[in-house]
Amino acid sequence: MTDQLRERLARLDPMHPGVDTEPLTTKSSRDLLEGIMSSPVTEQPPAAPEPKSNRWLVGVAAAVVLVVAVGGAIALTGDGEDPVASGPPLELNAAGEDPMAMCIMFSVEELAKMEVAFEGTATSVEGETVTLDVDEWFKGGDAGQVVLHAPAGMGALIAGFPFEVGGQYLITAFDGNVNYCGFSGPSTPEFRTAFEQAFGA
Amino acid sequence: MVSSEGERRNRFESVVAEVYDPLQRYLRRRTSGEDASDALADVLLTVWRRLDEVPEEAVLPWSYGVARRTLANQRRSAARHLRLVSRLETERPVVVDDPADSLEDPELATALATLPAPDQEVLRLWAWEQLEPREIALALGSTANAVSLRLSRARNKLADALTRQDPSGTGHIGDGNAEENQR
Repeated sequence: MTDQLRERLARLDPMHPGVDTEPLTTKSSRDLLEGIMSSPVTEQPPAAPEPKSNRWLVGVAAAVVLVVAVGGAIALTGDGEDPVASGPPLELNAAGEDPMAMCIMFSVEELAKMEVAFEGTATSVEGETVTLDVDEWFKGGDAGQVVLHAPAGMGALIAGFPFEVGGQYLITAFDGNVNYCGFSGPSTPEFRTAFEQAFGA
Repeated sequence: MVSSEGERRNRFESVVAEVYDPLQRYLRRRTSGEDASDALADVLLTVWRRLDEVPEEAVLPWSYGVARRTLANQRRSAARHLRLVSRLETERPVVVDDPADSLEDPELATALATLPAPDQEVLRLWAWEQLEPREIALALGSTANAVSLRLSRARNKLADALTRQDPSGTGHIGDGNAEENQR
């Protein structure tokens, strides 16, 4: 049955094997490849990071720590810099005020200010730790996995909504802290659309 | 590790021979012609620069991963441009292609379009790129387990979406007679 579905889906393919592509032997293909092979091997330095907004989120979800697992791999820094692409994960914990305080009304504009944004599928939920496989990065990382840690006793409050293995979530973080108050939550088409608008995915 | 320049060129040529056609298909499935050409050049440039990282046994899925990130960057740039433009205009709805325009199997195309984007993508990688879960995982930067889970759920959602369109059940995914379902 899955084979039949696969075949039926394959028939929707606009680039099925019957559609021609540019052969490797044409002049334009060869020019492209020669141009690439004569370019320097070292990558250009990344573009300067966009200016970050100020810390309007102090206090929001401060008790939840976001750790990005190595493997892809990034670690979050606590001073608003862009994530670094290597090195061990850095565990952060901001001084916790009431995590539900200072919630800001949700808007795409505010969402766009988040430093970290991704969609992930929960692969394990154990006590105060949730592990997510990243399905798509919108901003601030490229690791394959993200681990959310809550301080002891706050497992039930991770990001303010229940995580289930296999569930898909849209998560944002600021200063290494997961935001909830409407800025993270189970993935729905509407919520995802807001992410796409905010981060231009 | 690729040492001499000659070896590096040879290795690149052999990788390109493997990915040139499928990469063009991957990109043209997901973006328009001119953007696909730009993206192809960007992807191949990345392959050239990161030749030492290309896994011998999974050249194509790895290249799809590069292509996915390249398209994401391209879309982010386009979106930034669009946001600038839209500030000068009144808000208007985003125009999307009507999936029912797909002549081959409009019911399936419409059902597919109702799924969340990640579910659609995993189904495309499975059926169009003909990848297996561990290869899809490499292309998406995920794990084989998570992809298997996602793929299974996506297939179920697709089946549900087809049933919603056609509660009589004639649009069932397993019947394999798409043509008959098109009325």
